[in-house]
Amino acid sequence: MSNSHLFMKSGFIKTPGQNGVGRYICQLQRVVLKFCKNNGSSRGLRDFIEKELVDFAKDNPGTVVYLKPRRHRAPVIIAEYLNGERQYVNCHNYTSEEVSKWLNLLRTQAGNNDNIRLRKLWHTDHPSIQGPWTPYTFREPALNLVDFPNEELSKPLYVEPSATEKLLEIFKEQQRNLNILEKNQRE
Amino acid sequence: MYRQGFSTLITQCLKISIPAIQQTERRYIKRWVAPTLRELQRRRDKIGPPKPEPRSSYLEWNYDAEIFAFSKRLGEVFKEDVLRQALTHRSYSLKQEEQDGIQTDDNSALIEKGYNLITSYLKEEFAKKYPDVLVGVLYDHLITTEMLAHVATHIGLKDIILCADFPVEATTLANTFASIVAALEISSGKERAEKFINDILVVQLNGKDVYDLWKLNDAFGYLKTMLKDKDIEPRLCNQSGASTILANYQVGLYSNKQLLGIGFGETINIAKHTAALDAIQRIYNKRSPLS
Repeated sequence: MSNSHLFMKSGFIKTPGQNGVGRYICQLQRVVLKFCKNNGSSRGLRDFIEKELVDFAKDNPGTVVYLKPRRHRAPVIIAEYLNGERQYVNCHNYTSEEVSKWLNLLRTQAGNNDNIRLRKLWHTDHPSIQGPWTPYTFREPALNLVDFPNEELSKPLYVEPSATEKLLEIFKEQQRNLNILEKNQRE
Repeated sequence: MYRQGFSTLITQCLKISIPAIQQTERRYIKRWVAPTLRELQRRRDKIGPPKPEPRSSYLEWNYDAEIFAFSKRLGEVFKEDVLRQALTHRSYSLKQEEQDGIQTDDNSALIEKGYNLITSYLKEEFAKKYPDVLVGVLYDHLITTEMLAHVATHIGLKDIILCADFPVEATTLANTFASIVAALEISSGKERAEKFINDILVVQLNGKDVYDLWKLNDAFGYLKTMLKDKDIEPRLCNQSGASTILANYQVGLYSNKQLLGIGFGETINIAKHTAALDAIQRIYNKRSPLS
């Protein structure tokens, strides 16, 4: 993701109307190809119309294809989806191959995905099939058989050593060091 | 300035007096443009955003092609005259008759037929798998106008409906869905129509939680009436953080030392309620595996 995408509207991929659960319905309901009959910038689109458009229409009978010639205007594809969204693709100087690739994208999309930053490339409504964590989820099974009140479990987890214990520890350390010193001197 | 200097220079040189030359200023910045645009924008703002136009009013609109694409989109075979009738509402045919004196068949009969088919199919199909209470709940959820309108828009009915009102109302959309179902039954038979209902309408239940649709206020009471012969015993299985804001309790419902259901809650009563919900779900699931 580059910096320019930061302020784009963000979203997740979505399937409108449970499409594909029962049967798949192509979400592109109609497409309008607008082009000029003699301007050079429409040449690729005109080539596409001459050579490939009939096949496209045959393969996708669920999509209505309209052609709209208009003089000296930019070539444009307008896609209309079942969810009511429209998408413009400016085809200025496109080759016929580019046009067919764009049409293929429009055909397989579920809506206008322009200006949307996908937060993730996948989405699920049920992130966990285990359910939420609870304080009892990973509890030790041995605790099920314990009788309460239990002396062992009632002890504090950590008791700080008392001053006397600390002193004794220091004294023992000193003795140990002395012993080592004496041993070294003897050698 | 320059001109004036020039003319004084000439008078000085030629020693004659020339009357001052009348000047017209030439401005290359057109000062009327910005105010005009501003005024136009102000008027546009005053009028407000343009009203949505029906798609059929566009130049690129071919109703025959739209109807052909509609049936192909769904992968169904319709008789064309029946489909056209199914899309024509009473309001539209009345308007036609008033304007041009042409009588067209409307879909009032088809709507009723479609609703009957949908109702009988849904109730029959749900009754095979779910208890009576749930049949009612699921049916009520699917038969609402919003749900039918939602489904109708997502098969592309919104633009091809023939009716007097625009934008198309939700009830009109829902009615059209029903009439389409009836048209399919006439065209391709009852089996196809039922498959259509299943694929388009019933599928909307996918991913829904039963308890989002079924509001059970007294789940424990319901469970008790369900299991009249059994003794249900709620037990507190776990608790922690009592008298804090993170208090949580886990209650299990037992019957004859068998766990029926288990649930959590921030109070014991809520935990008991969720445990009862869980128990009901487990019992029904065992009785009829969810498909």
